[in-house]
Amino acid sequence: MTTALDVHAERWWSAAGVGLLLPIALLITWQVLGTAVGTPRTPLPVNILKAAAAMIASGDLPAALLQSLGRVFGGFLLAAMLAIPLGLLMGYSRSAERNLDPLVETFRPIAAIAILPLAILWLGTGTSAAVAIVGYAAFFPLIVNAVAGAKHVNPTLLRAAATMGLDRMTTIRTVVIPAALPSIGVGLRIAMGVGWTAIVAAELAVGAKAGGGGSGGIGQMMFVFYAYSIELNRIIVCMIAVGLVALLLDRMLRALMRKLMPWASP
Amino acid sequence: MGVPVTTSAKLRLERVGKRYAVAGAPDTVAIDEFSLDVRQGEFLVIVGPSGCGKTTVLNVLAGLDTPTSGTVAIDDRLVTAPGPDRGVMFQDYALFPWQTVQGNVEFGLRYGPAGAGLDREAREQRVRRTIELVGLAGSETKYPHQLSGGMRQRVALARLMANEPEVLLMDEPLAALDAQTRIILQDEMLRIWGQDRPPSERRTVVFITHAIDEAVFLADRVAVMTAHPGRLKVVVDIPLSRPRSDATRALPQFQALTQQIWSLIRDEAYRAAVA
Repeated sequence: MTTALDVHAERWWSAAGVGLLLPIALLITWQVLGTAVGTPRTPLPVNILKAAAAMIASGDLPAALLQSLGRVFGGFLLAAMLAIPLGLLMGYSRSAERNLDPLVETFRPIAAIAILPLAILWLGTGTSAAVAIVGYAAFFPLIVNAVAGAKHVNPTLLRAAATMGLDRMTTIRTVVIPAALPSIGVGLRIAMGVGWTAIVAAELAVGAKAGGGGSGGIGQMMFVFYAYSIELNRIIVCMIAVGLVALLLDRMLRALMRKLMPWASP
Repeated sequence: MGVPVTTSAKLRLERVGKRYAVAGAPDTVAIDEFSLDVRQGEFLVIVGPSGCGKTTVLNVLAGLDTPTSGTVAIDDRLVTAPGPDRGVMFQDYALFPWQTVQGNVEFGLRYGPAGAGLDREAREQRVRRTIELVGLAGSETKYPHQLSGGMRQRVALARLMANEPEVLLMDEPLAALDAQTRIILQDEMLRIWGQDRPPSERRTVVFITHAIDEAVFLADRVAVMTAHPGRLKVVVDIPLSRPRSDATRALPQFQALTQQIWSLIRDEAYRAAVA
């Protein structure tokens, strides 16, 4: 006999199955074509899996990911502590926005990787330069969304607060900031993605200078596989790991926001 | 009998005008030469066709809008800004979406001057009492988006009442509700306002609506406005006895008063509907 739970599970499996159909077909095609017409160096799904298993077993891949993640969180937190208060101020106060907006908008188009030379000259090739680059990259989506959040507070809510006699600071604390939170949350998610992108790029670029292994983060690990040992399979493992970690980070942030803002996701 | 005559008004609007500058055109006159006294403890309803400046009158009383001419006073003190002595209920309720029912009702007491001198326990007690008064007991932990329109309206009313303002200013609070909920909430409104109590213990209310039967049912006096520019046309006494109930709506006198006010704004309402 089929229970409701079985039906539910069955539906889930069939939905997941349909979603996986195309990727699996692509992987099989890749393996078959690669074996038939590729050179010995052509990366193949089976070899990539083997490489991944080896990199995880040796602890190199987890160590590199952790190293990079630590840098991302560091830069992310620094940027958030600076950008969110500043963005709220700009969104709330017109004069603050008039003064700060040109500055922000001038720096915003300068890609994080473009400040790498300065970061290396001032901070070296270690963690502090990487954190600075992540912080720079994360700063802009954070501030832009904080400004938007504080600016688009429903004016009637501000009027309601005024009729209840709230002073300005209390209004900011109890109306403007909570109203801006969903927008700030969007900024955090984008910033996390941008920060992760930036760290890989930064580590790739400074990779040649530092030693090998996991100590240089995931980007440097990729650089070593590219420039020294030329292991395409391992490079692709790194790429996949970068993507999966980004997905995981985003899902975690989303879950956190749902928990913190139950009113914003009905 | 009606409201006792007092020499001094609770609220006084004196030749109040409000104009808005419009680029490349003459100023828009929202209200013009508007004079009205609201007595202590009375339920005054303002009716008029849409666009007649009803909301402007309310905003000026609240201190949310500044008149361009004339003066507004509460207890003979000039009104220049919003204040906790005048509570406002907004048309779209203006509930804080991130606060629960409890948090919304508690908001003014917790963060505003209305709660000064109340300790946590006294505050929570008043909030609990107010939530019970409006019939929301059991929904304290819900968020506004989880509530029906009628329930949101009750939350807004509870938030207003919890602050215990001297004057209640209400901007079409029932306009967004369906007809049945609306009638129920009209009854509730009078109960919560305290129509059973002697007039001296009631709060002063200025209530805006475009529904004439609602105005007659609720009001001690109905102020009828005309549009373009918004002016006070006439103030109609509503001598229906209190407490009022469903039976009031069936009285011939109720029908006559409704008809009388309709005849005052009919021509203009037709013109507005055609335009």
